[in-house]
Amino acid sequence: MLTTENLARSFGGVFAVNDVSISVPKGELRGIIGPNGAGKSTLFNLISGHLAPTRGEITYVGRSLAGTAPHRRAREGVAIVFQGARLFHGMTALENVMVGAHARTSHGFASAALRLPGHRREERLIAERAKEALEQVGMSDFADVYAESLPLGQQRRLQVARALCGQPELLLLDEPASGLRLGERQILADLLRDLHEKGITMLLVEHDVSMVMSLADRITVLDLGTVIAEGTPDAVSRDPRVIAAYLGQESSDAASR
Amino acid sequence: MTGRLTSARLVGAGAAAVVAVVTALLPLFLDSSQLTVYTELLLSAVVTTGVSLLLGYAGQISLGHGGFYAAGAYTAALMATHGMPSLLGLACAPLVAGLLGLLVGMPLLRLRGHYLAFATLAFQLILLAVIGQQSSMGGDIGLSGIPALGIGSRHISDFRGYAWVAWLALVAVMILTRNIVRSRPGRGLRALATSEMAASSSGVPVGRYKLVVFSLSAAFAGLAGGIFAFFIAYVAPGSFGVLVSFQFVVMAVVGGLGTLWGPLVGAATITLLLQWLNDLGARPGMPDYAPQVFSYAVYALLLVLVVLFLPRGLVPAGTDALRLLARRRLARAQPGADAAGAADATGAGVEEPVPSPQRQ
Ligand SMILES: Nc1ncnc2c1ncn2[C@@H]1O[C@H](COP(=O)(O)OP(=O)(O)OP(=O)(O)O)[C@@H](O)[C@H]1O
Ligand SMILES: [Mg+2]
Repeated sequence: MLTTENLARSFGGVFAVNDVSISVPKGELRGIIGPNGAGKSTLFNLISGHLAPTRGEITYVGRSLAGTAPHRRAREGVAIVFQGARLFHGMTALENVMVGAHARTSHGFASAALRLPGHRREERLIAERAKEALEQVGMSDFADVYAESLPLGQQRRLQVARALCGQPELLLLDEPASGLRLGERQILADLLRDLHEKGITMLLVEHDVSMVMSLADRITVLDLGTVIAEGTPDAVSRDPRVIAAYLGQESSDAASR
Repeated sequence: MTGRLTSARLVGAGAAAVVAVVTALLPLFLDSSQLTVYTELLLSAVVTTGVSLLLGYAGQISLGHGGFYAAGAYTAALMATHGMPSLLGLACAPLVAGLLGLLVGMPLLRLRGHYLAFATLAFQLILLAVIGQQSSMGGDIGLSGIPALGIGSRHISDFRGYAWVAWLALVAVMILTRNIVRSRPGRGLRALATSEMAASSSGVPVGRYKLVVFSLSAAFAGLAGGIFAFFIAYVAPGSFGVLVSFQFVVMAVVGGLGTLWGPLVGAATITLLLQWLNDLGARPGMPDYAPQVFSYAVYALLLVLVVLFLPRGLVPAGTDALRLLARRRLARAQPGADAAGAADATGAGVEEPVPSPQRQ
């Protein structure tokens, strides 16, 4: 489904992602963990097309994504839930999710301005899909609330709903659980398990390691932009390099406090 | 949002119909100087509707729409004075302005915020300078003797006719805008205004959408410019100064960005206020620079007052007040619900209510 080959990206000579080669088969839920600044978000930005690689290649369903704009990747089924809550202000929750349907719909300005035939049908389809997606994340009651006035946990879920409305085949989730309370975390985990069963390929970046361990088929561990371990949750959690990287982070966290 | 007819929407549609009928009949009761004000007001509203679509929905500023207004006016004027059918000239005015918008937008829309504002301003200054140098376009003196608008041998012979043409243009432009805003591309535009990154990852072709909306708003300005040329029968660079572009932005902000009726309300407020101050400034005993000082002062003062006290503009403030009033009345009609209703209503007055009412 998705492979990266020697993928690298540098910022002013410093590599945020360096020689990353991963291969994610269709239907897999791949966990990606690593300490702060390991390059996880940068990797996602490379896959979703917001950053161009310095070196290396990304292949998605057998085709190179080089030079493909983010909105085209979205149309090919690549969706992303950003680390920050990047919602659309001045729009209701439902409208926010409806934007996600852009990936799978086609009516443009002329068709909208002149209300050409088919426009109405597509609008109805978009609204239906958006309502379904809201339902899936358990937010139907908040359809008419302005997105920016929602609490953080719901903003996260709304981003997931927006991604789902585009019926993605590859879903990138960048710390979807951060800022969520325990109950909300549980709901999110159930939702991801559900999507996994439906066969959506997912990349899950998460600092809540136990959550990743319980959900992921395989886990890739990044540190300083490179892959330091990859394997089943069990194998990875016993890997000495992983333990070292995390212990290192804990001690540096302690030092910075 | 999706074709459901709520009572609020019915009220809105009814109010729109009343406004349309009243404004359509109004020219019958105006004298010729009032008709001039009416027509220029509506033409400003046409341009401002485009500026508001661009700024209020898509979040892109332009201080160069006076340039597109000029492009439309000169297109119509040049074609008509060269013996082409006037209606063809009028049809080409928005087309040429829209194409120019496409050409100008391609490089400029990579810029954001202040940079985009200055770049569009520069575009207008360059355009005016070029027109001023072109003797075939009348240079600084301008083009006069523009024939009346008409089909074949039938021509519009009085101001009233142009007032109705301007009315038709405004209705058309408002319907187009409404249809776009409440649709897939409209949601895409509103989305990219907050986050181009998230919009593009949702499948919105951000660059193309910005270009289309810029070009469309330029076409609206061009249409108004075309009507203006036939109405005044004379165009010169002096009619399209930079202040004109500022005026459109101020009208959009004062009326309320991101609203359908804001541009008309903003254009009416500013035009009528300027008119009144103009009369005041022209009174005996006033220094002869008074009218001009007044007009500059109005832009500045209104902008500051609105931004300070009604940051969302006149139309949202007005609809909030109406909603508040309706709720108060409801509370009075149901004595049991009085306390709760009143508390709710005052709360809503202080801050925006969280559950969204639908947008205009
Ligand atoms: N646009 C940028 N310009 C310069 N440096 C950047 C940029 N984006 C990321 N970096 C740097 O690249 C490195 C990796 O950042 P990235 O955001 O990918 O880490 P991360 O693994 O997502 O971290 P976190 O867990 O904190 O989200 C960091 O050192 C960061 O400072
Ligand atoms: Mg990150």
